Amino acid sequence: MSGLLGNPKILTVIVVFAVLLVLGLAGGALGNAFGGGFLGAPLPHIQLAAEPVLADEVLPGWKLTNTMLATWLTILVLATLAFFATRRMSEVPSGLQNLFEVLIDFFLNLAESVAGKEKARRFFPLVMTIFIFIVASNWLGILPGFGTIGRFEPAYEVIHHAEDKAKKKGEEVNLDTVKLAVFEGEGAVTVQGFGSVGDEMTGADYEHMAEEDRPRAGLLVPFLRSANTDINTTLAIALVAMAMIHFWALRALGVFGHVGKFINVRQGPIWLFVGLLEAISEIARIISFTFRLFGNIFAGEVLLFAMAFLLPLIGIMPFLGLELFVGLIQAFIFAMLTLVFAATATVAHDEGH
Amino acid sequence: MEGDIGNIGAGLAIGLGGIGPGLGIGLLAAKAMESLGRNPEAAGPIQQNMILAIAFAEAIAIYALVVAVIIKFV
Repeated sequence: MSGLLGNPKILTVIVVFAVLLVLGLAGGALGNAFGGGFLGAPLPHIQLAAEPVLADEVLPGWKLTNTMLATWLTILVLATLAFFATRRMSEVPSGLQNLFEVLIDFFLNLAESVAGKEKARRFFPLVMTIFIFIVASNWLGILPGFGTIGRFEPAYEVIHHAEDKAKKKGEEVNLDTVKLAVFEGEGAVTVQGFGSVGDEMTGADYEHMAEEDRPRAGLLVPFLRSANTDINTTLAIALVAMAMIHFWALRALGVFGHVGKFINVRQGPIWLFVGLLEAISEIARIISFTFRLFGNIFAGEVLLFAMAFLLPLIGIMPFLGLELFVGLIQAFIFAMLTLVFAATATVAHDEGH
Repeated sequence: MEGDIGNIGAGLAIGLGGIGPGLGIGLLAAKAMESLGRNPEAAGPIQQNMILAIAFAEAIAIYALVVAVIIKFV
């Protein structure tokens, strides 16, 4: 132990870490109770549905949401990478081309070991696309700037939305539950600055203040939010995957062979029931595809928000590593399950027994 | 959902819903480790199938999470 502490490099690392920890403790939400809180920001407004980036509708009945922007950004990043990887192809790959070849080679081998040589080539493009898209959007989603820079939504709009939502349920709006944050500065683009951890108020406080005393309160609507925290994105990928699985199965087994798995009248009532269960499990697959990815990434986002709120600087670092891992594993699971489902769906029922 | 009862419900939903999948994933991993110890050459397929099976077990926890999220935020 004394040998470790004697090493100046290790000693420096430990001291820096301890200083960061103390700064984080004092500067975060915990320190705020004792007069600190110079680093923290209030816990962001956590919302299930994606927020619109522009307040107005772009097309009638259609708003541009922040997860949609993040999806486009992912596509742009992937397209750029693919362009530069394949621009100057050479027999002996190097650089980006090499990286992509290693990635594709690894997955092609994996797919061939699961589905067999000939089928793997057929399933591979979709499986690989799903993997690359999900992993890219998950990793982009934890970059700084996602969820922190955004549009300022003024308090009257927030209260108006809360009233609309309550009216739909047939209730009166409870302004005590409407949380607002106080912002400094001017302009439509805003961030929540250091030390703003205590600058919170409720809608009721705001309404009771005199017009001229009111601070610049409202909510931050981020411009970008990780694409898979929107249930529509994950549902879309799941639907595409399941539609393609059924398409491949129809092509491999024919209409009667494939549909006969679900509506089976020839072998008696038990098999009819088994077919029904198979049909239900197909729907359950779509649901679990959707919610597995959505749940993991959304929960990760909330976890990062909470840690940045409690322990800024240091608390978030191990969880960023965790999110990198979860993003990769979830993409892998999505792609592998698609592959396995496709491989089992293209095999006729009798062959398996 | 209104008030504190909804919060308790959301906590219970994910808390109770996590027990089963937690046990299941633990059992899965234990068996996978055991078979790894018996047959170290089969590490690749064992790992793949373990991850897939864990994904199925985890799906149950995700259903609980969805219920909790719906109670809390919708």
